[in-house]
Amino acid sequence: MESAARLDSNHKLTLKELPYIIRWRDDRCKRCGRCTAVCPVKAIAPAVRVQRSVRSEGAVPTPTAKRTIVHVVEQVADIEKYCTGCGTCSLVCPNEAIEPEYNPNNKFLHFKNKGGDAYKRGGRRNDPLVSTLDKLKFTRISMLTDPALDAGRHEFRVRTLLGRVLPPEEMPLTLVNGELVVDKNSGKFIPPVREIYPIMIGSMSVGALSPPMWEGLAMGISYLNEVEGMPVVMCSGEGGMPPRLLRSKYLKYFIIQIASGYFGWDEIIHSLPHMVEDPAAIEIKYGQGAKPGDGGLLMAQKVLKLISGIRGVPQFVDLASPPTHQTKYSIEEAVAKMIQSMSMAWGFRVPVYPKISGTKTAKAVLNNLARNPYAAALSIDGEDGGTGAAYNVSMDKMGHPIASNLRECYLDLVKQGKQNELPLIAAGGVGKKGNLAANAAALIMLGASAVSIGKYIMQAAADCLGDEHNRCNLCNTGKCPRGITTQDSKLYRRLDSDKVAERVVEVFKSADVELKKIFAPMGRSTELPIGMSDGLSIDDKAIAERLGISYAC
Amino acid sequence: MPAKKKQVRSQKAAVKTKKKEEQIIEITGTKAVIRGNVNGSRVPSRILEEHIQLAVQEGARELHIQAAGQHGIGGRIWPKDETVKFYVEGPAGQRLGSMGMPGTEIILKNSASDDVGWINCGAKITVLGDVTNGAFNAAAQGTLYVQGGGGARCETMTKRNPRFEPPQSWYFRNVGDSFAEFKAGGIAVVCGVDSRNPENILGYRPCVGMVGGTIYFRGPIQGYSERDVKLLELTPQDWEWLTTNMKPYLEAIDRMSYYKELTRSMDDWKKLIAYTPQEKAKKKPLKISATEFRKNHWEKAVGQGGIFAEYLDHDLTVLPYITTGKFRRNKPVWANEKYAPPCAYACPTYIPSHKRATLIREGKLNEALELVLQYSPLPATVCGEICPNLCMNSCTRGQLDRPLAIDKLGKLSLDMPAPKKAAATNHKIAVIGGGPGGMSAAWQLAIKGHTVNLYEASAKLGGKLELCIPHERLPREIIDKETERFRQLGINLHLNTKVTKELFDKIYKDHEVVVLACGAHQPRKVSFPGSDEIASAYEFLRDINLGKHPDLKGKKVVIIGAGNVGMDVASEAYNYGAESVTAVDIQKPAAFGKEMDIAKAKGTQIAWPKFTDRFDKKERKIIFKDGSFLDADVVIMSIGDVPQLDFLPASVHSERGWLTVNDEFQTSDVKVYAIGDVTGLGLVTHAIGHGRLMAENIHYQLMHAPRQPEAKQVVPYEKIKTEYYEACKTAFTPQEEGNRCMSCATCRDCHMCEVSCYWGAITRNDLGNGRYEYVTDDEKCIGCGFCAGICPCGVWEMTENI
Repeated sequence: MESAARLDSNHKLTLKELPYIIRWRDDRCKRCGRCTAVCPVKAIAPAVRVQRSVRSEGAVPTPTAKRTIVHVVEQVADIEKYCTGCGTCSLVCPNEAIEPEYNPNNKFLHFKNKGGDAYKRGGRRNDPLVSTLDKLKFTRISMLTDPALDAGRHEFRVRTLLGRVLPPEEMPLTLVNGELVVDKNSGKFIPPVREIYPIMIGSMSVGALSPPMWEGLAMGISYLNEVEGMPVVMCSGEGGMPPRLLRSKYLKYFIIQIASGYFGWDEIIHSLPHMVEDPAAIEIKYGQGAKPGDGGLLMAQKVLKLISGIRGVPQFVDLASPPTHQTKYSIEEAVAKMIQSMSMAWGFRVPVYPKISGTKTAKAVLNNLARNPYAAALSIDGEDGGTGAAYNVSMDKMGHPIASNLRECYLDLVKQGKQNELPLIAAGGVGKKGNLAANAAALIMLGASAVSIGKYIMQAAADCLGDEHNRCNLCNTGKCPRGITTQDSKLYRRLDSDKVAERVVEVFKSADVELKKIFAPMGRSTELPIGMSDGLSIDDKAIAERLGISYAC
Repeated sequence: MPAKKKQVRSQKAAVKTKKKEEQIIEITGTKAVIRGNVNGSRVPSRILEEHIQLAVQEGARELHIQAAGQHGIGGRIWPKDETVKFYVEGPAGQRLGSMGMPGTEIILKNSASDDVGWINCGAKITVLGDVTNGAFNAAAQGTLYVQGGGGARCETMTKRNPRFEPPQSWYFRNVGDSFAEFKAGGIAVVCGVDSRNPENILGYRPCVGMVGGTIYFRGPIQGYSERDVKLLELTPQDWEWLTTNMKPYLEAIDRMSYYKELTRSMDDWKKLIAYTPQEKAKKKPLKISATEFRKNHWEKAVGQGGIFAEYLDHDLTVLPYITTGKFRRNKPVWANEKYAPPCAYACPTYIPSHKRATLIREGKLNEALELVLQYSPLPATVCGEICPNLCMNSCTRGQLDRPLAIDKLGKLSLDMPAPKKAAATNHKIAVIGGGPGGMSAAWQLAIKGHTVNLYEASAKLGGKLELCIPHERLPREIIDKETERFRQLGINLHLNTKVTKELFDKIYKDHEVVVLACGAHQPRKVSFPGSDEIASAYEFLRDINLGKHPDLKGKKVVIIGAGNVGMDVASEAYNYGAESVTAVDIQKPAAFGKEMDIAKAKGTQIAWPKFTDRFDKKERKIIFKDGSFLDADVVIMSIGDVPQLDFLPASVHSERGWLTVNDEFQTSDVKVYAIGDVTGLGLVTHAIGHGRLMAENIHYQLMHAPRQPEAKQVVPYEKIKTEYYEACKTAFTPQEEGNRCMSCATCRDCHMCEVSCYWGAITRNDLGNGRYEYVTDDEKCIGCGFCAGICPCGVWEMTENI
């Protein structure tokens, strides 16, 4: 029996099944090969085509046949080499001869399960619709009714508190020489609190990110603190931290994450005696908004010398972070145990808080934390978050939107009268459409003390190509064409950490301007309008009702 | 209600005033006195304004206002090039002199309320006291002289209209916070005398959003909006202006005594002016660049090279997207002959038909036709006649028009002489069996210079070729001629020598290696009632080839077993007069190719699945287990043959009647090799291929040379670019076939890669003796893969550049 594949197109996909179709222009192409050299997935390849025409130019039939063989750039109709639409080809093409075009009628997911493997990818939820956060409007413009402020002229103090804030009556205050001071001999535990900028960079690990990307972010937030006086903090992610940073004075700008894989923690503990500063906080990761219930996996090909050194693992092995922490058996036990251990490591001087994925059960966790005097905050990561690697089904179909989840937690705290005590950190889709400050302000006004950003900053600071149409999303494969999520030095050396840092600074400075533009007409310049939901409206009655805000149209 | 009451009271007061003749306004010539408070009652701002406008209309040019908090006194007066002077006493209300016009002069004898000179359009306003918040807000022309200091937010939004002189404002002491916000023009002077805030005479954060105008000041300040304005020393021109205009100001506020002190030195003064939009555009968006931050802060704190430097073993520089040399992601390799072409790969003998084509293209036809003899002693017989030509089935060319005519090329080798033998090695090898396998083994070993003794039971070489292949499929003259050529190679032939146990022992002792190629010559049979009456295919075909012709005229023949041998039997049965032939099988028939085509063309029917139950010779019926039956005069069983192994010692292991061999064709006895049908039934070409490959193995073993593995991967079809070739319309000639060959996986030296490479990275090196290679210049190559994508032969391949 002849092999069908050899003979014709049996069982071959048409390009129409694929998510992106390459538009290549013969008349513009000079066959320099730049596009084929850079295509991260080899979705395009040089090929040979034959064209044949028969002409008859005489007064009677005088046929002449002309054959021309041309070299072309061709898209490969192979699901394993599907064009991801990243557009690196267009980026390098000197003649604008090639570009991928999104194919809305694709049947990609019908086929992307070769060998019975469910489709895995990185990136974000593929949902191009306008999110609730983006629908929220700031409708309280108090130019005459309240002392309105001028964002361009007035000074603002956009700050928030990370850490449990004791109510005044619980503070062991005492009068000394007519001054109110904290009584250090009271024996009462005073939780550590940091004053930070209300937008922080969320957890993206060394490993998920390339060295220049991670360092660029780290440098950017250090710049903001040191030069601009903006106390922006960044979470390490679960891949440990480089000892050079752990032992530097800049450690205070970093939140160190501990997750179920415990990667890099022996190196962190070894660094403890050498630390000249405490970290900003410790985040205990229990869940990730982008892939609730799904663990992490760093593929062996990414685990090279760098990752091996920083994570404290052998080279060339797959690193799995299980979806759940081992040795923890209930909320009470798990949270208490982890918070205790982490607090103890830094002598109870550092705020320690857990991060969970957005879920209907968030309130249960919150109520547990509300009773734990050492719990510094609760971070909730909604479904629109990003990730380096996850199953498509986890990314697209699982998780809870952040808006109502956060809101309901905040209102729960209000009921208990603890809304000013335990800060809520919200994440997941902040800046999804580029509206960083507006999304952040909306979450703050729904009750968040701070928001966390991830993929937005990758996009804004490092030109990440991904979008909600599954563009690129190669983060898990180590083939990131921008050099953001790869450990291949040939790729990540495309990224200039100085440029990333500069962009981080620009992004935060402009977001700061925008936050002020939002807060000024409400007369807020020194107090963050946390929970000030009367300033919000939405043109959707159901959402308005669910969030307890006004409906405006 | 209170407002109503007030109104009533004021009407009563007016009546009273009339009685006492006390009036709001008294005009004497050009002088008017206007009272803001009449009989203890305050005159509303609207009424006072009516009286002021009336007085000016009546010709008053000197107005004395006794103010009681009325709004906007002294504004909006247009006496047409004349001067109207206001002397205001008492608490003037907000916006004194607001919207003031040229020719208006206002002197307030005490401190003012908010917004003095609001949108001043030319009035000269002198305040012999302090001005409070918002003085000169949006003033566009005119002057403001202040004897005291200013409140918060003075001097904001001031303008300069090119049609007029710019506004001026002078403050003797200090001013309050947020001074000169959004100032767009005009000159403000803050003298800093007896400042109420000794540390800061310009207040908190002055000049936010200031885009024009000048502020001269004297005394300490604590910052200003650095984004908007710059702090400069005064120029002589500034100083000239300041000292000149200082005099009228000090005179107006009655402080001439300070003139000397205030003009003591230019160095006591500074000025603030706005950055031009061009200057702003040039200003770097960041206070320091990220690179400066890395060098001067970051690396000082975390170490040289950054936080990851100790783990990275590459330069910490940035790479472009298009790279060459070691930074390419992929690199091309000229993998000439790395892969086997489909023809050679499909051929069990690995006959390199592509090389034959190359030699033809090079004009070396004889060499091309001789080449095949290095691989097979029987190219005309096998390739040319009886082989199913697996090579042609897989030929890439077949995808375009028709496969290369390898059969015809094989036939053309018929007249070629035997190859030259290598020098004698004195190694002695026995080959048992003179069929295609034995001939192939003996041929190869003899060419390599070994001494070969070949033992054949029958009188002729050729084995089943001779015995069992119908002559219509294999003309006698061809096999005879090739057998003759075989004999020329000097192999010691022992024909008519059936090897017995005793002879084998002797052969075994006398030779270094014994090759068993004795084939399978014992027909396999299954037993059922009547099976004794059935002939075997082997016997049937052998007898025909030996000249014993059967008479099948009008007979119905049934063949059990519908393989290719069964097809040969069917053809021969028709040749000898059979009326009908039906081949049955228990499974889907294995017959294919020429054998089946010939048999079917003659009328052979095939039926399956048919399990034979019995043969009733009397009834001339063969009955199957499903109850069906066929009429059968003659039944021939063609279910294969098995070897006769009874002459072999126990050291040569067999399983179920077949010899078992390893990959090198070695039996369990290391000295004994076995090939061909004795190891399992196969095609003739399999036996020949086994013979050649085994000979290689034996040769290497005898010569103690390291074995070069010959088996290659086959080149994938998609690597061969069939597009370059046009469908062929001409008849067979060797030269045409040479051109038709697509030279799969073997460079045809067409220079396509060299010409196509945009970067000029590919060169052809002539290595002499007709040899050549294509190489890449790594410093030019970007690893685009064009060479691999367009190479007609699929020679170039891309590999990871590691």
